Amino acid sequence: MRWRNPVLVGLILALALSAAASEGPGISARDAWVRESPPGVAMMAGYMALRNNTSRTQVLVAANSSDFETVMIHRTIVKDGMAGMEHAPQIELTPNARLIFAPGGYHLMLMNPKRTLRAGDRVDINLEFRGGLVLPVALEVRK
Amino acid sequence: MMTTVALAAMLAGVWLAASDRESVSRAMLLPDRVMTLFPDPKPLTAFALTDHQNRVFDLASLKDKWSFLFFGFTHCPDVCPTTLALLARARDNIAKSTVGAEDVQFVLISVDPNRDTVGKLGQYVTYFHATFLGVTGNDAQIGNLAGQLGAAYQVAFTPGMENYPVYHAATVFLVDPQARYHAMFTPPLDAETISRRFKVLRELERAKAT
Repeated sequence: MRWRNPVLVGLILALALSAAASEGPGISARDAWVRESPPGVAMMAGYMALRNNTSRTQVLVAANSSDFETVMIHRTIVKDGMAGMEHAPQIELTPNARLIFAPGGYHLMLMNPKRTLRAGDRVDINLEFRGGLVLPVALEVRK
Repeated sequence: MMTTVALAAMLAGVWLAASDRESVSRAMLLPDRVMTLFPDPKPLTAFALTDHQNRVFDLASLKDKWSFLFFGFTHCPDVCPTTLALLARARDNIAKSTVGAEDVQFVLISVDPNRDTVGKLGQYVTYFHATFLGVTGNDAQIGNLAGQLGAAYQVAFTPGMENYPVYHAATVFLVDPQARYHAMFTPPLDAETISRRFKVLRELERAKAT
């Protein structure tokens, strides 16, 4: 072929560049934080804004952290006038979609912290996507 | 008054809409999605609970004070800490305002007495604000007050399960100094709206009294 087709060369270049620009899974996390918990409480919630910058649907299936015994993806739901939580086994993010984890909605439920976490501390959580993609996110503990 | 507000609203236009959609006099007249003000507050009847210092918390504890009541539990990672943190901010706003917070109390009523002992409750509520009260009792005692306020809750207690689910109303109930169910705040809640509405309510009540 010997690079005679400029369209094909352009395409290959463009693909190479886009791959370099969206490192890893190409999903970004912003405003990631964990609410500081009162003393004696072994449950915390983590919040953030995710965005799928890739051209294909990504499915968030789990999360883990060396800072907590268990991390689960939960959603606060209101049913029959009552708020409760349900486990979200998977959340789909279509290309360019945003997913907001916020109080009263989706949150990372963080159980049994392995160290005392106070406002200003940082925790690291890995978000696991279907297909093996992992997005490490640093969350700031806030009051 | 309404004419002035209407005129001001027209003049301020977009600015008013963006910065403070709820003009003060509309709040007095119209219940809205955040605060529902009952025109005919419902008197509460006898109930008996215990606060986090092991004192009786009953109908008399609600007299001569405005009480913000919230039903929740300490093993609650999202709704409860979010609500208590914003209520703490609302209390600070009220304390700083002309209304003052001397005759205002904030009470978390735990619907999960199995896990929320009096000692745990105290540690929990005072983390959010030194003045907050934690209150609980047995199922019948909690059910009595919750029923009077229409606060739905359900504890899916499972022996041997550490993190059994608890469902509860996310509403904040406001009881007046005559121990009457006076108003409620429904989510999405924010501290500024609650404190501002409360101030308006107090001014309205003061105007009624004179």
